[in-house]
Amino acid sequence: MIIDCDVHNSWNSSQELLPYLPPYWRDVLARGELPGGRDSFPHAHRPWLHPEGFMRTDAIPPGGGTPGSDYELMRTQLLDRYDVEYAILGGDEGIEVSTLANPHLASALARAANDWMVQEWLGRDPRLKGSIVVAPQDPAGAAEEIRRIGEHPDMVQVIVSSGSQRPYGDPFYWPIFQAAAEMGLPVAAHLGGQGGVNANPTGTGPPSYFWEAHALLCETGMGHVASLIAHGVFEKLPELRFLLIECGVAWLPAILWRLDADYKALRKETPWLDRLPSDVAREHIRLTTQPLEQPKDVRHLWSALEAIDGERTLLFATDYPHWDFDDPDRVRIPPAWRDRVLRENARELYRLPPPRAAAPQTQASTS
Amino acid sequence: MTPPAGEHRPGFYACRSDEIEPGGRVIRELNGRSVGVFNVDGRFYALRNRCPHAGGALCLGPVTGTTLPARDFSFVYGMQGRILRCAWHGWEFEIATGRCLPDPRMRAKTYPVVVEDGAVYVMI
Repeated sequence: MIIDCDVHNSWNSSQELLPYLPPYWRDVLARGELPGGRDSFPHAHRPWLHPEGFMRTDAIPPGGGTPGSDYELMRTQLLDRYDVEYAILGGDEGIEVSTLANPHLASALARAANDWMVQEWLGRDPRLKGSIVVAPQDPAGAAEEIRRIGEHPDMVQVIVSSGSQRPYGDPFYWPIFQAAAEMGLPVAAHLGGQGGVNANPTGTGPPSYFWEAHALLCETGMGHVASLIAHGVFEKLPELRFLLIECGVAWLPAILWRLDADYKALRKETPWLDRLPSDVAREHIRLTTQPLEQPKDVRHLWSALEAIDGERTLLFATDYPHWDFDDPDRVRIPPAWRDRVLRENARELYRLPPPRAAAPQTQASTS
Repeated sequence: MTPPAGEHRPGFYACRSDEIEPGGRVIRELNGRSVGVFNVDGRFYALRNRCPHAGGALCLGPVTGTTLPARDFSFVYGMQGRILRCAWHGWEFEIATGRCLPDPRMRAKTYPVVVEDGAVYVMI
């Protein structure tokens, strides 16, 4: 039994959000310019186009449509097949609202995506838990949205894209973290949002090829970890947890070693921080595993994971139905850690109840 | 005439040869295994529907070509219709041989195919 911390549920068309938008924004989505066809979602696209599309081709629903849009297929290919106790749904295109210049449009779309999540998905199956999408370029609106829908018992985290206008420790974003901490929700940054107003996906300027860029986008995770720790976000909000989703894992030890060394020399810059960055990270930063790095010699991976106390900081994820899916039956996690990484770390982070006695019964399987 | 499904010595009946157009495929359960049978320019090939990389649904992926090695920095698109890309992670395999293009140490499981009287048999 596993808890899958990165599952993508999709709409087939952005127009599915129309009932969840207030009148002005409904008119904009129904009649205004869209980046693709009438079904496309308002966002700025990343500058790299995946040459094969980024979906598992066996996840296209039998009747056509977007992978991740068909609950029954998700049940067959993921929830039932891998004995998933909970799947943390992150939506799919929703986090791309962070690329829009207009913060009011971005927040309106995020609110609609959240109501769509609750109405269209969370009631279908007790295994499904939702993420609250917010527009980080509108911190006040984001905080209001977290407080509005954060009471919903099946909404278990706040989610933003890893692509951003500034590193997330910047005080500009603090209203988001304050609201999340107040509601008892972790904040997750999921790989994405590289485009539009988020103009700096990597420090060198944009790479050229999809595989090259995809491997490097962990760089955004490095920036957020350093920024959150240095700005003292966790000193101000000691209950807060920050989760990096799909941003890689094995780079973290090296970055923490460097942060520790430089902090020791120049700690006077950040007098609010009275412990090592690596100590802050161990307590407050969590990472999902997928796509877990795959060195030839697995001992090299495990020594990296040990350096960040991976037994307690890693959360398993598949990324269903995307092209770089990790199979829970094959993922290389130290055997002694499997219970914690595959389930218990997520249960703690999301405050999920202990395992149910009997296997969950879905509406579909009992009908 | 359609031969009965199931065992046929020395192989397993998969389909009639006219059931698969050139470029097409069928997926069959044969002897307890999921197997993809492909028609590449009139020749038939069979591969196990399980990717040696990560166990994905290999035979549900697209049949494509790929860029040929080019030290002169050109794009030469070749092997059209002879490459199967795994449905999960997109690793490329040569349909005829099971050869794995990104990792020569890896190979997709292939089975010999016999076509007899318009019927396609997979030798498992």
